[in-house]
Amino acid sequence: MEKLLEMLEDLAPGTDVATATDLVDGHHLDSLAILSLVADLEDEFDITIPAVEIIPANFNSAEALWAMITRRMEE
Amino acid sequence: MESYCSLVYVLLFLVPFLLLYRFVPGQGKRYVLLAGNLIFFWWISGIRVLYIVGTAVVIYLAGFGIGMLQEKRNAALSTAEKADRKTIMEASRKKQKGLMLVALVFVLGLLLVLKYTGFAVEILDAVLEKLVPGTFLTPPTILVPIGLSFYTLEAIAYLVDVYRETVKPETNFLRLFLFLSFFPKLMEGPISRYEPLARNLWDGGQMTREGAIRGSMRIFYGLFKKVMIADRLNPLLDQVFLHYMEYNNGVMNWIATLFYMIQLYCEFSGNLDVVIGSAEIMGITLTENFKQPFFSKSISEFWTRWHISLGTWFKDYIFYPMSLSKPLKNLTKSARKKLGNHYGPLVAGAIALFTVWFCNGLWHGAGWRYIFFGMYHFVLILCGNLIEYPARIVTDKLHINRQGKPYKAFQIIRTFILVVVGELFFRAHGLSAGIAMFKQLFTSISFDWITTGSIFTLGMDRMDFVIAAIAVLLILVVDILKERGVDVRGKIMETPAPVRIAICTAAVLVLVMFGAYGLNYQPVMPIYANF
Repeated sequence: MEKLLEMLEDLAPGTDVATATDLVDGHHLDSLAILSLVADLEDEFDITIPAVEIIPANFNSAEALWAMITRRMEE
Repeated sequence: MESYCSLVYVLLFLVPFLLLYRFVPGQGKRYVLLAGNLIFFWWISGIRVLYIVGTAVVIYLAGFGIGMLQEKRNAALSTAEKADRKTIMEASRKKQKGLMLVALVFVLGLLLVLKYTGFAVEILDAVLEKLVPGTFLTPPTILVPIGLSFYTLEAIAYLVDVYRETVKPETNFLRLFLFLSFFPKLMEGPISRYEPLARNLWDGGQMTREGAIRGSMRIFYGLFKKVMIADRLNPLLDQVFLHYMEYNNGVMNWIATLFYMIQLYCEFSGNLDVVIGSAEIMGITLTENFKQPFFSKSISEFWTRWHISLGTWFKDYIFYPMSLSKPLKNLTKSARKKLGNHYGPLVAGAIALFTVWFCNGLWHGAGWRYIFFGMYHFVLILCGNLIEYPARIVTDKLHINRQGKPYKAFQIIRTFILVVVGELFFRAHGLSAGIAMFKQLFTSISFDWITTGSIFTLGMDRMDFVIAAIAVLLILVVDILKERGVDVRGKIMETPAPVRIAICTAAVLVLVMFGAYGLNYQPVMPIYANF
């Protein structure tokens, strides 16, 4: 989780990424930033994130992102 | 019927339809709606209603076939050895993909032939003219069904979602057809996703007193935007964009471009207000298509607030699938090694972004100016991402607070100007006219038309300017309130009955007395219905 927060801070400086629940809806992450994040997550956690997972509900908060990462790691 | 913002639609179609929909019980509602959809489509497109029926049949059959393949696969998996599972999955996926591609080629082919044949012939004609001077090809006249680009994207989304297994394949053709042909969204969107809308339409909306009042207010607000502003600005815009060479006045071009941005917003979002309000009265929720776009701090944010359903469609069905495809993922990996974590993913992103904006431009229309418009936004979004890091360093060094109000105001104004300039190319009569008008913005600066009062001879007199300004101000106030999370319609509904009645009566009177009707005005045609 710490690593994830670091990545988010890098992409959305000035945003309280640990508590934010509107990272996508609040325009803190745009589509190119999400692409960067996906590349980071795939490398860091050795997972594959398909296009169907890229929905605001999965990217709006660190918690939702962590749930998706955990799910992808289990699959 | 030319537009949702017309008395013909509201009084002759919507009101009788709603009365019938209200009093027909239970499952009868779905058949009333089906008949309403067909009558509406026939009214606006005649025999071309067959195109949407054809699209629905093909998409239904393909979705049904994919569903059967998925069932067959699941049955095989339940009895298969672990070692065989991957082979079964891959074989089934291949067949599903084949079926999906056949259907996509059909619906996209139909779109391309109906919408782009004329443009293709124009290009061919220009090439032939260079090779064999004197050759002349005449573009064929093809009658395109209204709303083709909207329902085609919805059909594609449904089929891809069935293939991705995020939507269950439809077994009932009427249910799918009811969704694709839902009359309020047929001409200008919003581009909707299959669920939960298909379920709501099939089950029938719950019509309530509150929904009827809220929906009616929304329809009225849409009419206000269209009749008080969009139609009022139309004569001046026609004059300036048609006679820019004669006028040769950069200041007028700035004014006309700004007015066009206002007109486009009021016309498109006004129509969508009528659309969403119509559905709201029926107890059906449609997705929002605008979210105070002029408060955007960047171009990429602007496209998450303007025509939201189109932007989301392009993201979900082109941008992410392309960026996350195997070749582009490999490209991202090697680019990250060379360019680092920030710029590395931008390489693959830029390729996907280029495709999105090329398609976005073409979706808006068959013409070079639309492609240019798409490329304009592609370049701006890409540059925004490229300069993000250096800009952050510079602002830090200059001790500029990026979270402060002055900096945010600067970002909003900068974005607004960039968007407005882009619209000049969008509205101009051709790309060369757009480029010429753009040059005039900076070279032919003269305030003569304003100081001499000649500006009032272009189809908008002084009173028109005053009325339009007051109306725009009102919309700005409503947008500010909405941006702050205020439910304006809810607040009006909370007021005591006499106040509420007074507000509604005043609003109707204002619309009747100051609307842009009559011989001096030529109502603007629904701009997005032609896309």
